[in-house]
Amino acid sequence: MNLSWLSRFRERPWLWQSGLILFAILLPLPLGDYYRTVAWRTVLYIMLGLSLNLIVGYAGLFQLGHAAFYALGAYTAAILNLQLGIPLFWTFPASILVAALFGFLITRPILHLRGDYLAIVTIAFGEVVRLALVNNIFGITGGANGLSGIARPRLLGLEFRQPIYHYYLVLFFLLITIFAMRRLENSRLGRAWLYVREDETAAEAMGINTTQVKLLAFVLGSGWAGLAGALYAARITVISPDLARFMESVVMFCIVVLGGTGSIPGVFIGALGMVTLPELFRPLKDWRDAWLGVTMVVMMIARPEGLWPSRRVQLELQESEAPHG
Amino acid sequence: MFKRIVVPIILLGCLLINLTGCGGAKDTIKIGLQGPMTGDYAYEGKGFQNALNMLVEQVNAAGGINGKQVELIVEDDAGDPTQSALVAQRLVDAKVVAVIGAYNSTATEPASEIYNEAGILHVTPSSTAVRLTTKGFPRFFRVCFLDDRQGLFAAKFMQEVLGAKNVGILHDNSTYAQGLAEETKHYAETLGLTVGFYDAINPDDQDFTPILTKIGAANLDAVYFTGYHSQAGLLLKQSAELGLTVKWVGGNAANNPVMVEIAGIKNAEGVFVTTEPLPKDLNYPEAQKFVADYKAKYGEEPDSVWTIMAGEAFNVIRIAMEQTKSTDPATLAEYLHTQMKNVNGLTGPILGFDEKGDRLGTIHVAYVIDATGNFVLYEKQPSP
Repeated sequence: MNLSWLSRFRERPWLWQSGLILFAILLPLPLGDYYRTVAWRTVLYIMLGLSLNLIVGYAGLFQLGHAAFYALGAYTAAILNLQLGIPLFWTFPASILVAALFGFLITRPILHLRGDYLAIVTIAFGEVVRLALVNNIFGITGGANGLSGIARPRLLGLEFRQPIYHYYLVLFFLLITIFAMRRLENSRLGRAWLYVREDETAAEAMGINTTQVKLLAFVLGSGWAGLAGALYAARITVISPDLARFMESVVMFCIVVLGGTGSIPGVFIGALGMVTLPELFRPLKDWRDAWLGVTMVVMMIARPEGLWPSRRVQLELQESEAPHG
Repeated sequence: MFKRIVVPIILLGCLLINLTGCGGAKDTIKIGLQGPMTGDYAYEGKGFQNALNMLVEQVNAAGGINGKQVELIVEDDAGDPTQSALVAQRLVDAKVVAVIGAYNSTATEPASEIYNEAGILHVTPSSTAVRLTTKGFPRFFRVCFLDDRQGLFAAKFMQEVLGAKNVGILHDNSTYAQGLAEETKHYAETLGLTVGFYDAINPDDQDFTPILTKIGAANLDAVYFTGYHSQAGLLLKQSAELGLTVKWVGGNAANNPVMVEIAGIKNAEGVFVTTEPLPKDLNYPEAQKFVADYKAKYGEEPDSVWTIMAGEAFNVIRIAMEQTKSTDPATLAEYLHTQMKNVNGLTGPILGFDEKGDRLGTIHVAYVIDATGNFVLYEKQPSP
C-alpha cells in the first residue's frame, strides 16, 4: 500500500493538527446538549487516558488504580468549594497537588515492584481510597452518598452551566495536556522513561536514576488525573465514591492499551471505543455492555499492539524490517 | 483483509442499528423514566420499569390521558451521577413533558438541574435527601417522604399507640441516625412529650451497660433507637440481661432480621420498628389493586415500597394532566402545588405538596417482632 500521502501529512504535522483542533472546536456547535455531554465526557476520558499513558505507556508501569487519583482530585475541589467556599477554578491547583502528593506517597514505597505485583498494589490502593470515601473519612467526604451542591465555576462573570461551556473548558485543558505530552515525549525525561520501560537495568547502567524517573511518571500522571477529577466535579456538581471504583480504573487502563500503549492518537481511539461508542449504543439497552466484551476479544485477536500504536514502536519495526538507505 | 475491511464494516453496521433506533413521532404524551436498570440498584430500577409499564398499559387500554396515548421512554442511569446527566439530556432531547426518577439522590440531583432548565415536570419516587427540594426548582416534586417525617411518625407512635409520656432517644453518632434522633426530639417536644433521656453510643461499642443503667434510672416509658441493626440487637440483649422493662422502638436502620438474630427471639419479641411499609402492607384499596395487578402480570408481589412509589409518581402526573386537561409542565406544576389536595393515591392519601415540592404527610408504619422473630405490621398505628 502506498503511504506517500500519509508521509506527506507527517512532514507537515501542523496541517492535520490544526485541522483536528478546528474540528474539535466546531464539533459541538451543530449538536444537541446530549451529544455535547457525550463529547465532554469523551474529552475528559482522553485526558484521563493521557495521564495514565504517562505511567503505563511511557514508563511501562502497571497502574490499575488510576481512578483513585481522579476521585481525589474531584473530592479536593468539592471539599475546598463546599467547606471553605473557594471558587472552583481556584481549587484546580489544589486538586492537582493533592492527587500528585498521594501519587508520591503511595508509589514511593512500592516502586521496586514490577508487573503484576505492582498492579495488585495499585488495585488495592484504589479500593482503599474508595472505602475511605464511603466511610466518610474525617467526616468531610459525605460517605456513600458523596458530596453535592458544588458551586458552578465562574469566569469573568460567565457561569459555566451549559454543556457546551464545559466542553470547551475540558478541550482547553486537553490541548494543554497534549502539548505538554508531546514535549515530554521528546524530552530527556521522556526518553529516560522509554529506556526504563525497555530495560531497567540497562537504563540504570546508562546513568538514569530509575527510581526518580518512575516516581516522576506516577506523580505527574496522578496530578493530571486529579485535574480531570476537578473538571468532572465542575460539570456534574455531585460526586460519589463510585468515581474511585475499580471499573473506572479498568476503563482508563483499556483506553491506553486498546488504543496503543504509549501513543497519543491511540488514547483518542481508545477513548472513542471505551467511552463514546458504549454511550451511543444506549438504545441497544441490555446489549450495550456486550459491546465492550466483544471489542476487547476482537482487539486482542486482531491487533494486540493496539489500534494506533506508538509511532516510535512503529518506526522501530519499520527500521528493523527495511532500513533506510 | 479481515482487519482492514471486516472490522470497520461490523462497526459501521452497529452504528447504523444505533442511528435507526429512534422511532417515528406520533401525537402521544411522552413521559420519561430514569432509573438504575443496571448496576447496584438494578433491582429497584426494574421495579420502576415494571410498575410503569403496567400502569401505562392500563391507562392506554382505557383510552389514554385526555384522549392521547402515553408513551413511556425508559433510560438507564445505573445510579451514577454522570450517566444521570447524560440520560437526562437524552430525555430532554426526546421532548418528554414529565420525567419520573431517579432512584437514588446522587443520581436525581444532577438530573433535576437539567430538567429544571428545560422546564420539564420532574417527580422522584424515592430520593429522600432533604437538600433536593431546597434549590427552588418550581417543577420538582417527590411522592416519597423526607427523612425527617420518620421522626414525626416515631414521636406520634410513642405518644398515641404506646401511651408514653416520658421518652428516651438514643443514636449512634452516624449522620443518618443523629439526624433522625434530632428530628424525633424536635417533634416529640412539639407534641408535648418529655424527652427524659437523649444520648449517643459510638458505632464500635459492644458493652452498653453504663448507658443502659442510665436509661433504667431515667424512668422512661419508651426508648427510640435510631442506629443500625447489629447494635440494636446487642442493646436489646443487654437490656434484657439487666432486667429493663422499658419499651424499645427502632428506626428503619434496625429493620433487619440480623437484629433479632443477635438479640435472640425472646429478647426481641415485642420490640417495635418504624419503617416504610412493604407494598402488601399498605392498607388502601388502590394499593391492594396495584399489588394484585402486579402479581397477575409479573408473577410476584412487588417487594420494595419504591416500586409502588414509582407507580404513585405516574399516578400524580396522570391526575394532574386529567384535571388540568393540559400537558404543559408549568400548568401541571401549578396544579400540584396549589390544587391537588386529599386525593386517594396508590400509597395512601395524597394530602398535597408544599411549596418546595415535598409531599405532605407520612407513609411510615410500625412493625412489631412476633413470637417467632418475624416483623409483622402492628395492629395499632398512630393517626396520619
